Amino acid sequence: MNSTLVAGVPATGAEPPAPARTPTDWRGAKMQGSIRRRYAAERRFRLLGLGAVLLSAGFLVFLLWTMVGNGARGFTQTELRLDVDFPASTLMIDPAALAGPGKDAALAGADIEGATTAAATAAFGTDGERLLSDGAWLTVRDAIAADPTILRRKAQIWVPAATNIDLAAKGDAAPEDEAAYARLDKAGVTKTGLNLTFLKNADSTDPTLVGVWGALKGSLLTMFVTIVLAFPVGVLSALYLEEYAPRNRWTDLIEVSINNLAAVPSIIFGLLGLAVFLNFMDMPRSAPIVGGLTLALMTMPVIVIAGRNAIKSVPPSIRDAALGIGASRVQVVFHHVLPLALPGILTGTIIGMARALGETAPLLMIGMRAFIASPPGGLTEPATVLPVQIFLWSDEVSRGFVEKTSAAIIVLLVFLMLMNGIAIYLRNRFERRW
Amino acid sequence: MTTDTLNDLAAHQQVAPVETLKMTARGVNVFYGAKQAINNVSIDVTQENVTAFIGPSGCGKSTFLRTLNRMNDTVSSARVEGEITLDGENIYAASMDVVQLRARVGMVFQKPNPFPKSIYENVAYGPRIHGLASAKNDMDRIVEQSLRRAGLWDEVKDRLTDSGTALSGGQQQRLCIARAIAVDPEVILMDEPCSALDPIATAKIEELIHELRGRYAIVIVTHNMQQAARVSQRTAFFHLGTLVEYGDTSDIFTNPRETRTKDYITGRYG
Repeated sequence: MNSTLVAGVPATGAEPPAPARTPTDWRGAKMQGSIRRRYAAERRFRLLGLGAVLLSAGFLVFLLWTMVGNGARGFTQTELRLDVDFPASTLMIDPAALAGPGKDAALAGADIEGATTAAATAAFGTDGERLLSDGAWLTVRDAIAADPTILRRKAQIWVPAATNIDLAAKGDAAPEDEAAYARLDKAGVTKTGLNLTFLKNADSTDPTLVGVWGALKGSLLTMFVTIVLAFPVGVLSALYLEEYAPRNRWTDLIEVSINNLAAVPSIIFGLLGLAVFLNFMDMPRSAPIVGGLTLALMTMPVIVIAGRNAIKSVPPSIRDAALGIGASRVQVVFHHVLPLALPGILTGTIIGMARALGETAPLLMIGMRAFIASPPGGLTEPATVLPVQIFLWSDEVSRGFVEKTSAAIIVLLVFLMLMNGIAIYLRNRFERRW
Repeated sequence: MTTDTLNDLAAHQQVAPVETLKMTARGVNVFYGAKQAINNVSIDVTQENVTAFIGPSGCGKSTFLRTLNRMNDTVSSARVEGEITLDGENIYAASMDVVQLRARVGMVFQKPNPFPKSIYENVAYGPRIHGLASAKNDMDRIVEQSLRRAGLWDEVKDRLTDSGTALSGGQQQRLCIARAIAVDPEVILMDEPCSALDPIATAKIEELIHELRGRYAIVIVTHNMQQAARVSQRTAFFHLGTLVEYGDTSDIFTNPRETRTKDYITGRYG
């Protein structure tokens, strides 16, 4: 058809008439072959995609399997039944003193550690105290404090076992430890239960006494500071830049700077925190408030970028509609633009906060890698956070720390999932149907 | 001109004998950056009549409409020269509050743009931000009255809590008109309100414009010349940013002074 048209046009000048186009043979072998090849390419691409998904799912399953396999044991602790014959012991303590205000002094003055060792020798033979955790006497002390009357009789107290006995109970220790555990088990003085110490304590040098609560609380406090700072400042910056700021060289510069900040390695933010918050502003070292401030600096650009994109995607017709009935700029922003952009902003915040929660490097710089043996009491007290705690424990020599490290990773992952769950719930609540 | 249009003209072109000036524009120029979009336009909008702006695409009629309630303020590159008054008061004067101006001069847009909120909230939003209703039943009354005037009440009274975006296109546009009416404006600007609607929904909107005429000064931009002929008493023909001709609709359509107007309305271009 085309050829007749072209042929119908009178040739102008020296231009030769275009050659007639041969009709396309849609049913021919060449065309069929090319269609087959196209389908084959499509199938290949789909298989590649499926393969990628399966591969990543496989990695995820492997990760979870290893973590849960190692970590689940970290939540349990083997205990030994220790028979203590208090009247026969060398313990010099007056039960009456334990009722009064001098209780702590009385407990501190008595040689409970020695009495515990003696009881262990009596119960398990020479070197019996080596079967017990270094912190076993603390359990004895707590038992006396809870019930001073046991000082007048023979008592049975469950105390934590030493790391090698604990590992033997979980089937992962040297043969001689396994034998020692088997002997104790036969005597019926062992039990393995939930490790409350791990959920209540902070860091320690003895793996049977360590706890994750200190780091978890540190993480909670740090995240609190981060979100309280980064979310409002990030969202307001995004709103100002999108809705109010004029488009000129300065706003372009700000935009480029924010995009660059989002890509700056996190350790640089740590150095900044060290220089500004610790050295210049004299804030307390290792404190959640400084950690939170540093992580907020890191998270803010992510929130600003996500926020601007979310605000940009609110249809201009909604702004027109509100302006057209006499809403002021602030009313347009807070009644219409922000609610519609919130799901997108929250998605960006989830990403930023998840990154902040898992961040280690900048916190090392501001001293949060210190050995902190008690959970932080407030924003200004020394603390550490989960990822740093994991990093510290993974460095420990004692074998008991392996399972504690994995257990802490599980706690971190659960924390992360909870945080994301809340954010996703909020996002879905604010999502509107069009 | 089709005979239909001529019949429409005969039916509706009784211009009210008493006319009050509502808005006036004198020597208005609008620039987008260096480009001039509107060139020296002067026009009067009366309380009693529906004024239609017609003209080919890109002729500046929507731009000019948006200067009447200062919606062009939101475009940072836009600059307006000349004088536009509402009841004799210059709306570009420093003393004019733009928020109040937009409440007095309401606007209905080309594409229906209800808020993604309930039907009730869509209508109640304007009165609420302007503090027009203090009690819940005052608000209920405003919402019902506005929806009735927009001819939508019977269709939505049982589902006021449904989302405004769940309505059909024509219903959405009437909801937008109800939303504009709810703030009790003096002038309503309509920017091609029927261009996204089917003929039946268009007919309903046009009927609605007839009913609203007189209570509000109405300015409507339209691409559809039959529509201009059906709904308006005054017509302004814009071309390339200038006002070519402005007069009674019957004159413009039956006896245009300018050849450009004649060429446009007989369909020679545009």
